[in-house]
Amino acid sequence: MEAILQAVLSGLALGGVYALVALGFNITNNTTKTLNFGQGEFLVAGAFIGVTLVLVLSGKGHTGVLQPEDVTIVKYLTGLAAILVVLSVLGVFLYYTAVRPFVGAAGLAWVMSTIGFGIIVQNTALGIWGPAPLAIPSPLGNEVIRIAGAGVLPQEILIFVVSIVVMVALDLVLRKTKIGKAVRAVAHNKNAAALMGINVPAIVILAFVVSSCLAGLGGLLIAPVTTASVFMGLVLALKAFSAAIIGGLDNPRGCILGGFLLGLIESLIGLWHAELREISIFVLIIVVLVFKPEGLLGRKIAEKV
Amino acid sequence: MKLCRSLAAALAALALACSVSLAGAQDIKIGYNSDQSGGGAAEHGLSGRFGVEAAIEDINKAGGLLGRKVVLVNRDDTGQPPKSIQNMNELIDSEKVVAVIGPTNSGNALAWLHLPQQKKVPVISHVATATEITKRYEKEAKNYIFRVSMVDREQVALLAAYAVKASKTKKIALIADSTGYGQGGVKDATEILKLHGVTPVANEKFQPKDTDMTSQLAKIRTSGADVLIVYALADANANLMKSMEKVNFFPVTVGSWANLATPFVNIAGKKLAENLIFAASVTETSNERAKALNARILAKEKNLPIFVCAAQGYDSMTILAAAIKKAGSTDGEKIRDALEAVDGVQGIIKTYNKPFSKTDHEGLGVADFRLAKWKDGRVVDFEDAIAKSLTPADLKK
Repeated sequence: MEAILQAVLSGLALGGVYALVALGFNITNNTTKTLNFGQGEFLVAGAFIGVTLVLVLSGKGHTGVLQPEDVTIVKYLTGLAAILVVLSVLGVFLYYTAVRPFVGAAGLAWVMSTIGFGIIVQNTALGIWGPAPLAIPSPLGNEVIRIAGAGVLPQEILIFVVSIVVMVALDLVLRKTKIGKAVRAVAHNKNAAALMGINVPAIVILAFVVSSCLAGLGGLLIAPVTTASVFMGLVLALKAFSAAIIGGLDNPRGCILGGFLLGLIESLIGLWHAELREISIFVLIIVVLVFKPEGLLGRKIAEKV
Repeated sequence: MKLCRSLAAALAALALACSVSLAGAQDIKIGYNSDQSGGGAAEHGLSGRFGVEAAIEDINKAGGLLGRKVVLVNRDDTGQPPKSIQNMNELIDSEKVVAVIGPTNSGNALAWLHLPQQKKVPVISHVATATEITKRYEKEAKNYIFRVSMVDREQVALLAAYAVKASKTKKIALIADSTGYGQGGVKDATEILKLHGVTPVANEKFQPKDTDMTSQLAKIRTSGADVLIVYALADANANLMKSMEKVNFFPVTVGSWANLATPFVNIAGKKLAENLIFAASVTETSNERAKALNARILAKEKNLPIFVCAAQGYDSMTILAAAIKKAGSTDGEKIRDALEAVDGVQGIIKTYNKPFSKTDHEGLGVADFRLAKWKDGRVVDFEDAIAKSLTPADLKK
């Protein structure tokens, strides 16, 4: 029983990051019908920028070693602010160089261009920080919190809480505010939205900024748990993409559900046979694609002939 | 007249410059090829180089070798096999080194072993641990590959001996990463535990990048094991320690020398890092020679991440120097033959009495190893009643 609770807690923390990145896929998909396949590398950039800022604020070099007392909440939040600024710029840059030239054009040129952009980001990080992972202690300390016998790290609770808060906030903005309605209008029908006086290019850029920032936030949140590594992006982005597919790529709530579902499946299967984890996830994806291709919460698209 | 004199002076200066560069050409060049900037093994390569440099300093202070100065030709392979092969070609063909010390990564060694073997340049591997390195050319008339490091199977022999004595219930569990390194360790451990009459009660796996091993630990707890042997790299082992804290289950845990690397203590934190006992050939507190070398390197370099590698580097170079002296030549074949004959070489880790023979190219074995642990951010010797009671008969392999 305790072991199951332990697996559920670990799964929710893991699922939170998947859900955040999956949400990033959803936003750009809805507004431009394109995805940033370099999302994982944006997460890497977020993690390294955050850790580096904490290092610099602690008076250490950009590849130094952080002690638990170096990482205060103020420094961590300053790191977050830097991430949001840099990743926003990166998001705009990505849109103009790797997405806009290909939007609406036939073919899948944007797939290659976004992957390429991600690889450029990753190798830049490799050049600056090298391949060794950077460890950062959690700003909330490393004391294990016990919940009915199962242990959980404060950072894992933080990941879960932050991801829920961000998602609820985003959901409210999308449904209740004017700008949210504009985003949804663009997602629904770009031409009609433009005729209604909505500034479509601005909305699309906003979508890429938000999507990049979500990846950066994910990177900062997960760094104290996994350490910041230049190579961590691909696996996380693949899992997040799987989460979006399972939950429904066009539905933000579906992406969140998919993220948590994937995290839970991963840790619960691990309880039984650790080596079956990846197998079970990708079997699930195939099953979902066969029986409900639009995803669990996705909207069925009727083909009009 | 004046012009003539200045011309003569210039000629004299030129002649002097020539003789200096000629003397330079007579230096004995030793190649060093290791990862010093790339991945997880960079700390090993850097520390190893500090040790080799210290040994060369001592040799030159005592008058060099064969009346010539010894110089180190350093090459960084950044952990990449292609770069490591290129370095090896460069060291042997262009730099004409008489011997090579390196590399850090077993995979890189296996990628270029044929080069020194064919070109008759002796190699002493001071870090890489894969068993195959010294074995590949064992059957040939002359094997040019030697090692002064901790071979995987020899490490497991010590860990298993300790595990069997430390377990009250004789229930021992294994956990390892799913790579060749981890699973090789599991295979060795299973075979050696069998020699002790013990079958592991659990055998769990994780991916090298996993951060949560709580479910595997839950199964190990259910199996009733009170001792755990772990075979994985430093960062994964650190995450295992964190997971142990989460499920509040701390069996006696033993692991390989991979835990000497600083990511282990950086990720796990100083307190949790103290819970793992691991194999080491020497620590900075093992003997007076080790203490002196550690202090000496730290006085010069700002950081010495892995002392063991520095000591193994120092000893590799010292044995090599003894062989060159004995051979009385810098000919690769003669040095190789002398390596199999050197005797009574005083190193940091021990006195090497006949370290190599025709059939055995391993300078260190399980009898030379000790147990160590992290204490307050540094590696120190670990000794308890069980470790002290281990006899050579316990070290089955």
